[in-house]
Amino acid sequence: VIEEAAMTKIAVGSPARPDQLPVEERARQAKPRAFLATWLAPLASLRLTVVLFLFAIALVFFGTLAQVDEGIWTVLSKYFRAGIAWIPLQVLVRFGQVFLGVSPTAHLSGSFPFPGGWLTGGLLLANLLAAHLVRFKLSWKRSGILLIHAGLVVMMLSELVTGLFAVEGRMTIEQKGSSNFTEDFHSVELAVVDRSDPKMDDVTVVPGTLLRRRGRISDPALPFDLQTVRYMSNSAPSRAPEALSANVATAGDGLSQVMTERREAGGADTDQALDLPSAYVTLFEKGSDRSLGTYLVSLWWSALEDRPQHVKVGDKTYDVCLRFQRRYKPYTIELLEFRHEKYLGTDTPRNFSSRVRLVDPERHEDRQVLIYMNNPMRHAGETFYQSSFLPGDTGTVLQVVRNPGWLMPYLACIMVSVGMLFHFGLHLTRFLLTRPAQ
Amino acid sequence: MNVLSRMLPGIVIALAGGFLVVEAMPYREASEQMHLADFGRIPVVDGGRVKPIDTLARTSLLMISNRQTLSEDGRSIAPVQWLLDVMTSQLSDRSPADKFRVFRIENIEVLNMLGLERRYGFRYAIEEFGTADKMARLQERAEEAQKRDPKERDVVDANVIELAQRLQLYIDLARWQNLLIVPPAKPDEEWKSMRSALVEEKSKGGEDRAFRSIANIILAYTKGETSVFNDRVAEYHHELEQRVPDLEATTSFEAFFNHFAPFYQCSLLYVAVFMLVCGGWLTGMPALNRSAFWLALLTFAVHTWALGARMYIQGRPPVTNLYSSAIFIGWGCVLFGLVLERMFPTGVGNAITAMTGSLSLVVAHHLASSGDTLQMMQAVLDTNFWLATHVVCVNLGYTATFVAGFLGILYIFRGLLTRSLDRGALKSLGQMMYGVVCFALFFSFTGTVLGGIWADQSWGRFWGWDPKENGALLIVLSNALILHARWGGMVKQRGMAVLAVAGNMVTGWSYFGTNQLGVGLHAYGFNNTLAIGLTVFWATQLLIIALGLVPVRFWRSASAMQAPRPMRPSSPVAAGKPEFAPVAT
Repeated sequence: VIEEAAMTKIAVGSPARPDQLPVEERARQAKPRAFLATWLAPLASLRLTVVLFLFAIALVFFGTLAQVDEGIWTVLSKYFRAGIAWIPLQVLVRFGQVFLGVSPTAHLSGSFPFPGGWLTGGLLLANLLAAHLVRFKLSWKRSGILLIHAGLVVMMLSELVTGLFAVEGRMTIEQKGSSNFTEDFHSVELAVVDRSDPKMDDVTVVPGTLLRRRGRISDPALPFDLQTVRYMSNSAPSRAPEALSANVATAGDGLSQVMTERREAGGADTDQALDLPSAYVTLFEKGSDRSLGTYLVSLWWSALEDRPQHVKVGDKTYDVCLRFQRRYKPYTIELLEFRHEKYLGTDTPRNFSSRVRLVDPERHEDRQVLIYMNNPMRHAGETFYQSSFLPGDTGTVLQVVRNPGWLMPYLACIMVSVGMLFHFGLHLTRFLLTRPAQ
Repeated sequence: MNVLSRMLPGIVIALAGGFLVVEAMPYREASEQMHLADFGRIPVVDGGRVKPIDTLARTSLLMISNRQTLSEDGRSIAPVQWLLDVMTSQLSDRSPADKFRVFRIENIEVLNMLGLERRYGFRYAIEEFGTADKMARLQERAEEAQKRDPKERDVVDANVIELAQRLQLYIDLARWQNLLIVPPAKPDEEWKSMRSALVEEKSKGGEDRAFRSIANIILAYTKGETSVFNDRVAEYHHELEQRVPDLEATTSFEAFFNHFAPFYQCSLLYVAVFMLVCGGWLTGMPALNRSAFWLALLTFAVHTWALGARMYIQGRPPVTNLYSSAIFIGWGCVLFGLVLERMFPTGVGNAITAMTGSLSLVVAHHLASSGDTLQMMQAVLDTNFWLATHVVCVNLGYTATFVAGFLGILYIFRGLLTRSLDRGALKSLGQMMYGVVCFALFFSFTGTVLGGIWADQSWGRFWGWDPKENGALLIVLSNALILHARWGGMVKQRGMAVLAVAGNMVTGWSYFGTNQLGVGLHAYGFNNTLAIGLTVFWATQLLIIALGLVPVRFWRSASAMQAPRPMRPSSPVAAGKPEFAPVAT
């Protein structure tokens, strides 16, 4: 009842009665209500809440500054979905550069540990639950607080569910074309395709995470062994003489074009650019050290259109390309019409819309849907959003999201808002009613 | 004295009302002069919306010279006249457009490059630097700067790019580039430029009357034929009324809005309110504070009307960009101040009204320099529902946090520098801060979550941890922190005041600071002067926090604060009255 206690104290201004003392005081004075309560009391303390708020504020602040240098996904996994975040001192320099006139070339190396999002959020959740266990009392006056806090629990859990289970991908469909897979723009795979069978292609993929590790990769499904020479998380074509002379490629398209490493796109960047990884990989004859050549594979050759390289092993030819990781779906989406409307006399986009036909044989569905800004299509637990378009309006890019917890924030928002309206409203009316009596 | 004090509010309102009426009075040139104001009401399409030429003239001038007024040889020149001169500069040798000192160039290196001397006001005419070789050098330098990564550009780069853009705008205006001025003859047709109207007339035959009228108006202007110009303009308006009747009403309204400049008038009146409040505190005359309240109410009415007028012109909820958010936050702060004053008639609410009202409008004025403040929305933002809910709620959250912060500032200054912070004032300020922080938490939380839901609706991610979202979260967390610290007895009124001032810093960060880091969908305003302004703001808030942490025994109100009972009424203003008495008597 501590919230009301503080409030009445302010409102009425009378000397504090024992039941209106701050919670720590009262916890000390009151007889232990239960064994559980005594143990939980420190965890339930409001002081801990305030300290955790401070930590959360600092973490969010650092996590924002970090987005000047690092991609939003990197920051997400390093800061907010991490137990301990290692915060580089350079983020403070960044702050100084924007606001305090620190030299743009200044650099500080080193980093310090800080409680990350999982830890701080988890402790806040524990603190909140403990507080309610210790001080639980059902009454009208407290119902607002209860509702607010229950809503917050739902909200925190929803972020947990999203962090653990949400899957995002993009589906690119050309005008009048169709697609049955999504691409994950945050992970790549090396695809080796055997097109010798005219009826179907035989595709084997090596996940990008394996390529990053640089060890030798060998698998019965692969027609060759391979080893990464160099992996670049983001890359760009280069014509610089020093890059050309240091070219490690010995076969394929890498002979004529060189890719060099590039800074990862930051969450605070203007263009919301994608990272386009490239890798130099050496292919070996299966189980031997005889090299088939070092190839350059790059997203630059597959992001918009497939441009595979051909590798000959024995008498068979395979298509090899590095591409965004694909997930195949049991349904097909056909793009009937993509529209890109602009405001009169300007290049400012007014609306993007895609009229699509969804065919799902498993669910016996065949329907036409118009997807446009702020109006997604929902199907089979997935949601399709108008996200982008191909250059020259030749096709559409849909964001496809599966998030089992997508309804939780809606619920949480209603609970907390109603709770606050009730709680603060109750106090306001009481305050207004008691005031003339002063 | 008694009679005067009873009549004072009435006198103040009458004066302010008279001032507003004079300012709103439509401006009319004498019949022997060119009716430029009438010309200014002619509609054009620019930036994707139909607006009066007057707006185009004002925003173009603002973008080129950083202000909306122009004077030459001590004679002030209306923006629309300047625009007419620019638009006729390629048609007539007599146009003085190239002689007007409108280009603002501050950077010394850019000035040297163009062979210009530094001068007061930093404004230069095209004829001073418009030679072919200098233009070529500027062009080359600007292209070089454009190629550089935006993060690596220095001050000279930024200034060169800015100047090049201003010149481009000027040239576009002079060549009538992209200016859709010929209205559709039938509802299903589109707006046309003069050139395409001419081409169409030649190819299809017939006569486009609007096109002819505009051409005649411009011709009369270049020849300096006043009466012909006036007749043609009047004729054209008559024709427009029949051709596109609704349009004529809205563009005329917008031209009137530009002329009245209500937000500018409001900022002046808020300053007057502040002076009345200070007068009330210094002299102890309750009549001054009552006058301040009524004047604030009148100004608030104008502020509200102006906000509504913008919504009417744009057909949108109140907040669509940084400029409108400043206006809206100011409006919300004033509303808070008025409600607080009504509940606690001690002058504190009036002071909040006056300070936040004038400050926010000054900030808004500086945010307007990027051009048309009623620009069209990007596709994803093109939804009135979310603009009306998420954006309004978040801005109300900013508002309440700022109000709490200002109350904190008042608390600290009153306690430290005056003897007036006694038990009563202490209590009422504490109650105000508490209540306002509760509001702040409610609106910032609801607004932030609604933003998440919008994000979920538009790209399937409830929370993306992007800088602006994080900024909103910081406000929620800091308000929650204040309330929990209060409930836990960790802070009392003074601690709350200090924390509320810190809340100002957090709000400043999330309102302006996150935009400075770079960008994303939320980054609707990137502006280097903002970074400096924000740094100064933080420094002042830190100073106030330091003052708030000075031990109470050094405060001038120390003895009053510790007195067991209120020794005297909480404020000289309320002397002799019960605290809860209504303000209006």
